Amino acid sequence: MKTLELPDYKEQSKEVAARFAALRERPVEMAVCGLSKIFGSGEKEVQALRDINFDVYRREFMCVLGASGCGKSTLIRILAGLEYPTEGEVFVEGNPVEGPGPDRGMVFQSYTLFPWLTVKRNVMFGLQMTGSDVTSASAEARQWIELVGLSKFEDSYPHQLSGGMKQRVAIARALANRPKILLMDEPFGALDAQTRCQMQSYLLQIWRNVNITVLFFTHALDEAVYLADRCLVLKPSPGEVGEMIEVPVPRERSTDQFLSPEFLATKQRLEELIHPKSEQGDEKLPMLRLTQVGDDVE
Amino acid sequence: MARKRRNGQPWFSIRRELSPSRQTVLTAISFLLPLAIWCVVSYVPFIWHPDIKLQVGAGGATVYTAGDYVGKDFFPTVVEQVREENREVMAERAVGESPPGSTRENKKILRRIAGVAVQNKALGDDEREDDAKIYEIWKGLATGELVFKRPRLNEENMAIVKANWETLASYSPTYDAAKFPSEPLLKLLPQGRPANPVYLPAPGEVLQAGIREWTREPAEGKSTMGEKLLQSLQTVFGGFLLAAIFAIPLGILAGTYDFFGKLVEPFVDFFRYMPAPAFSTLLVAVLGAHNAPKLALVFLGTFPHLLLMITKTSRLLDPALLEASQTLGAHQRNMLFRVVVPGIWPNVYNDLRIALGWAWTWLVIAELIGVKTGLTEVIDTQGDRRNFDQVFPVIILIGIIGFFTDQILSWLRRFLFPWNAEAEGGQGLIERGLRGFGRWIEPAMEAHRKKPRTKLDHENVRAS
Repeated sequence: MKTLELPDYKEQSKEVAARFAALRERPVEMAVCGLSKIFGSGEKEVQALRDINFDVYRREFMCVLGASGCGKSTLIRILAGLEYPTEGEVFVEGNPVEGPGPDRGMVFQSYTLFPWLTVKRNVMFGLQMTGSDVTSASAEARQWIELVGLSKFEDSYPHQLSGGMKQRVAIARALANRPKILLMDEPFGALDAQTRCQMQSYLLQIWRNVNITVLFFTHALDEAVYLADRCLVLKPSPGEVGEMIEVPVPRERSTDQFLSPEFLATKQRLEELIHPKSEQGDEKLPMLRLTQVGDDVE
Repeated sequence: MARKRRNGQPWFSIRRELSPSRQTVLTAISFLLPLAIWCVVSYVPFIWHPDIKLQVGAGGATVYTAGDYVGKDFFPTVVEQVREENREVMAERAVGESPPGSTRENKKILRRIAGVAVQNKALGDDEREDDAKIYEIWKGLATGELVFKRPRLNEENMAIVKANWETLASYSPTYDAAKFPSEPLLKLLPQGRPANPVYLPAPGEVLQAGIREWTREPAEGKSTMGEKLLQSLQTVFGGFLLAAIFAIPLGILAGTYDFFGKLVEPFVDFFRYMPAPAFSTLLVAVLGAHNAPKLALVFLGTFPHLLLMITKTSRLLDPALLEASQTLGAHQRNMLFRVVVPGIWPNVYNDLRIALGWAWTWLVIAELIGVKTGLTEVIDTQGDRRNFDQVFPVIILIGIIGFFTDQILSWLRRFLFPWNAEAEGGQGLIERGLRGFGRWIEPAMEAHRKKPRTKLDHENVRAS
């Protein structure tokens, strides 16, 4: 079998290298320092995360990748303040995270729109929580709804929307509070492939137009390479930082790049990290021949 | 070419809904079937009818009077007993002895025809003891001037009528108290028609009794049926509202804060196993004999269960919604009032509907304690008098009110919770009944609400 000769994923074109140099110059938006999380105690003790350290720069789009069960959910919940770390600390613009707050917007995989509120009211929710009055919240919510292209549906209830539309409302709702950082927990995991692809490009557009740092958790390699400036790969049990990969694919991204050498090389590297050959094993299914049909199939 | 199937859908199919028209048909049958069975059992004589309802009483040695029920097996014995008494009278007459007897006894014997006479409208209801009129009736029957049709007297009784008139006429052709015979007359034989036991009145009787009781002017100092119904409604809804007022906030707190949950739930869980009626005498002692203990009993019967249900309902709220609200900047108070409360409200509404059903079940027991009131007073007193034709309308009325209240509440859901109604509602009877009407009025309401109802495809929006 013939395979493509791929370049080293660490090779960066001049533009890309310059871009990363500029990125590293920016202030750190979120700093994660020595984060560990242990669930349970005694014999049942399970270490979910061990000594996680990384920085996210302002306006960066970072993807956190990992196989399921490697502590992704625990990590994002700690960053959001919904869970407390056993050790270590998270800083947003230098201030330690004490709990959930409007400076970190979050988009969940399960939409989590309030079903009893219309689209507009959902987007207004955070604004009203942070002290805006109804009129100004309403006006601001309209802008965000327009940004995600759902103006026609501002008076619809969530159950009347498709999955992709719901997730766009959730993004608008999170952004309306003008958070410093947007945490996204496998936000497109429940969508079908086509909608998912569409949503990814929507998200890149939004990221370009809005002053926001994105931390995007996913297990889909394509998605990570397509979206991210840098990919943080988590190793499972316990969750540890495997590698921080700088994606050498130039901006601005398009779906055509899916087949570019840099893209494939990065994806291959991620594949190696997440599903190492050594772990895949050579297991074959026990084969019981149940068919008489002959050789043309083989 | 594909063959067209006339019935696209079979009647029996596991976990598949029938078409709306079929659902409606089955709903109608579900009500008509029990009614039909009741009618058949009541109106087709050979189906059951284990008793004889007496039209002519037995009197004499027996205690049976007109209107009484006698078992079919026992009835011949009763008849034979009277026949035997008549035979003795005849035998004594035959030997020419002057048997003992009295005018008073004879008048009683004659009066025994009154029941049938009233039914035939030959006698007024208030003339049952008018001996002169009754005398005329005997005369009329014997001479053939008067004929009873519904019910008619059987031949044996007609013979007795004639024989007695012979005796009477020999004394006086018209009623004359001075010339009333004292020699014993023959007694009418008990006569009746097959009937169901007294506890199963026919639908017609129940309907008549219902209409009669509802339109009747009550005796002095007594309340009308309407007032009684109002009393009962006050007891049910009063007790229910009281339970709701306490259970809703407490339940939401207990379901939201573990602190309140652990503080309240264990005791309530224990308390609910103590049946509410067990407290009835205590309640009367504490609260007096009037309305207060009744409300309290409905409250006691409803509150603990409702509280536990609302607690459970509150816990069912998706915790992700709470977390989402936190990441949007909500704190305790807003999480409670802006997320928990609106999020569980439709389910609490359903819990309340179920609790209202319980309140109705406690009604009868509640109204029995202390001074009997409301509809239960009718059930209890008329039931004791075995007037079951008056008891049934009340029982059915309670059922109808309870059922339709619930149906209306179920139907209101779609207006109270437009965001939730489509997911869970839609199966109610009224809902189905109004669907036709709704199809017609919907466009108008849509225009009013100006909200898109259909599930929208995101493809539509790409252009925008």
